[in-house]
Amino acid sequence: MSTVQFGIFTVGDVTTDPTTGRAPTEHERVKAMVTIARKAEEVGLDVFATGEHHNPPFVPSSPTTLLGYVAARTERLLLSTSTTLITTNDPVKIAEDFAMLQHLADGRVDLMLGRGNTGPVYPWFGKDIRQGIPLAVENYALLHRLWREESVDWAGRFRTPLQGFTATPRPLDGAPPFVWHGSIRSPEIAEQAAYYGDGFFANNIFWPRDHFVRLIRLYRDRYAHYGHGDPEQAVVGLGGQVFMRRNSQDAVREFRPYFDNAPVYGHGPSLEEFTEQTPLTVGSPQEVIEKTLTFRESFGDYQRQLFLMDHAGLPLKTVLEQLDLLGEEVVPVLRREFAAGRPAHVPDGPVHGASLRTGARAAATAG
Amino acid sequence: MAQPLDLVVVTAGLGQPSSTRLLADRLAAATARHAPAEVRTVELRGLATAVAHHLLTGFPGAELRDALDAVAGADALIVVTPVFSGSYSGLFKSFFDVLEPGALTGTPVLLAATGGTARHSLVLEHALRPLFAYLRALTAPTAVYAATEDWGTGAAAGTEALAERVERAGRELAGLAEAVRGRTRAVTGQAYPVRAADGQGGPGAPGGVPDAGPVDGLVPFEEQLAALRA
Repeated sequence: MSTVQFGIFTVGDVTTDPTTGRAPTEHERVKAMVTIARKAEEVGLDVFATGEHHNPPFVPSSPTTLLGYVAARTERLLLSTSTTLITTNDPVKIAEDFAMLQHLADGRVDLMLGRGNTGPVYPWFGKDIRQGIPLAVENYALLHRLWREESVDWAGRFRTPLQGFTATPRPLDGAPPFVWHGSIRSPEIAEQAAYYGDGFFANNIFWPRDHFVRLIRLYRDRYAHYGHGDPEQAVVGLGGQVFMRRNSQDAVREFRPYFDNAPVYGHGPSLEEFTEQTPLTVGSPQEVIEKTLTFRESFGDYQRQLFLMDHAGLPLKTVLEQLDLLGEEVVPVLRREFAAGRPAHVPDGPVHGASLRTGARAAATAG
Repeated sequence: MAQPLDLVVVTAGLGQPSSTRLLADRLAAATARHAPAEVRTVELRGLATAVAHHLLTGFPGAELRDALDAVAGADALIVVTPVFSGSYSGLFKSFFDVLEPGALTGTPVLLAATGGTARHSLVLEHALRPLFAYLRALTAPTAVYAATEDWGTGAAAGTEALAERVERAGRELAGLAEAVRGRTRAVTGQAYPVRAADGQGGPGAPGGVPDAGPVDGLVPFEEQLAALRA
């Protein structure tokens, strides 16, 4: 495993291909996600992360089922989420599901917690969206204990109390899965990640750089404030979004209809405006390399870089071609460049075993 | 000598030249006659595409962000919209829709509108004032409506001409802004703490980044946990 972990994260959307008018079936999409994950390992990427959604047009409602299957079909790929809903899932079930997955995958598991951005999911799961931050805070406080204490007594605001509860299976080797806290805009979440000494993943793909510079600086400063290390030792993950062809103009021509009709930002700013303001890069592998290298200048040395590659109706064949380019031409150069000049005290991307130390440190601080 | 007021004018007129802009300029000048003010005018016409993009993407482009920051950081605000289909214009509303929640809390605001005839003048009371009440702004008692005919007539019997209404509204806004500023200074020993402390930077912005935005008002994690146990 390298100093910076590279991988992909998927939303799992079923979107009509605007160039053909065809949408995959849910079955095709689910199977495509597995194919994409296996391809990620084949081309030398480190991480595959899946979103969690409970409404069409998205298919990944059951991430640990998907990741358990992927675990059985891969050898070294790290399996993660983007994100696991800490607000509407029962923290007890998260503790159980991911500990189980961790055993099956021999430790190749971490997870990214998020609040979710689909309003009705809260009432569907019996929760109140106005309590989003308190839910994230309380549920994680419980999850954190369930993985570290054999017997938990608990009373909180949002779930039924526990007396003498033991979450099983216990984390592999006594080391809980590493946790990232994902956020687009909330400083409270950066603060939460800093408090526990956990990772902070800034999903920066839709918003301008300045916003995330502030958010990550906050996280780093607070990480140090809580005694986990120097600001530059905080564990930072970033998003990215790319579409490549060897010839830059071909990439732009091919990707434009997908961009223009994309579910999140389609029919809004032009591809050129979006490329200028966000991490999106549409062009040659070299352009992707150059843009990604600027992330370190903006945010400091970081630990994980995930790319969004398979959304907006792009056909599976195209996505696999993209992964070939990413794995063969982009990531090897990024690994080399990011390793050069990286200070020795900056931690590597988190893996099982290394999280033993992180876990112990966070537990000591959280008391 | 007191610091001049940071007075921001938001005008949603679409014509060039625009009678909405004309009214906005007169209101700004009237306000500045009663309190020294530095005036910045935000023409929404030039931001229309950026506002639409913000609605779709959830983030402002650089130019729009600059305008939103100016509005959020103003000591006093003058807002002027043309009347379209019996209410404020869609562009006017959309601009305030993309403003950060809480950005206008406690901000003195002078409401104004233009229209073809005086029959729509209650749009100020039935549409604009509730909007700015929702935004928790402090609206000046006098709101100014200018119908086309107002630009060419004096006062009718028992009423004030446009110029007098403009003057009174400007005086009220200036007084309100100075009172708010004086009060907050008396309470806390520093100016303008009523609104988010833009420009001061949060713990994550030691270098004093302009508009420290989302890191302002951060609640330390112990307090977040404690609030749940309470």
